[in-house]
Amino acid sequence: MDVTLNFEREDRDDTHTLLRIKGDVTIHTSTRLREQLKPLFTTKMQEVHVALDHVDFMDSSGIATLVEGLQWSRLTGGRFVLSGLKDNVKDVFSLAKLDTVFDIEDSTAA
Amino acid sequence: MGNPCIQDVSFPASESSHVGKLCLQLNCNSDCIHVLRSMVAVMTARAGMDELRSNRVAIAVDELFANIAAHAYGGKAGRVEIETCICDEAEHGRALVFDFRDFASVAWAGCLKEAANHVPDPENLCPGGLGLRLICKVSDHCEHQALEDGNHWRLIFNINDGENDGCNA
Repeated sequence: MDVTLNFEREDRDDTHTLLRIKGDVTIHTSTRLREQLKPLFTTKMQEVHVALDHVDFMDSSGIATLVEGLQWSRLTGGRFVLSGLKDNVKDVFSLAKLDTVFDIEDSTAA
Repeated sequence: MGNPCIQDVSFPASESSHVGKLCLQLNCNSDCIHVLRSMVAVMTARAGMDELRSNRVAIAVDELFANIAAHAYGGKAGRVEIETCICDEAEHGRALVFDFRDFASVAWAGCLKEAANHVPDPENLCPGGLGLRLICKVSDHCEHQALEDGNHWRLIFNINDGENDGCNA
């Protein structure tokens, strides 16, 4: 269990960015995720990719924050991709019936 | 002379329902995530649940606690009592049961059935209400009772034969 959330941003070019998240995304940490995520959605950005390979636990506030991300991407016309979901996290998306709503890739490209 | 650290924790027969029960009294305004998760980890291990099922129980318990903190107490400090035990119930068979009791002046007035059956509209996603939906989805039974001085919630997770073989949801 991790009560801290760490981020690593990697801009692949001016239009593609990757945000790697490490820790549990819960009601205690999702505000930090929102702060990191929101500025990424600009009209110039064509793809925002969030890597969840190092997220072991996510609750509804984490999912809700990613739903906001999806809404922001729709507003700016870019692609919003999630990748590397562990079974526990994938399960929560599936329970929420949101696994088919998001663009989810199995693994995060290096 | 006995070890003072080792105490007799046996219960008289009249209090046999206390055996194996875990009880917590928490302030909903404090960071209780470690305590709640430890409680869930102990009880799901006792129930023989696998990692996926244990994660689902953790989700439900976290979400309900967060809902009480946010909606019953409005983000302010407030007492929440949580009890959990494994019991044999006539209706549910062997089950892991969590009882939550708050003392808030606000009685919850939502509809559990509606929350459980809600299907998100992909074109018009709403981030709200997801917590209750998950609680209803992962628990085998969820009930709420408005009391004169607060709310009582009960979450029941059935313990299946061959629990370690997989998940039943």
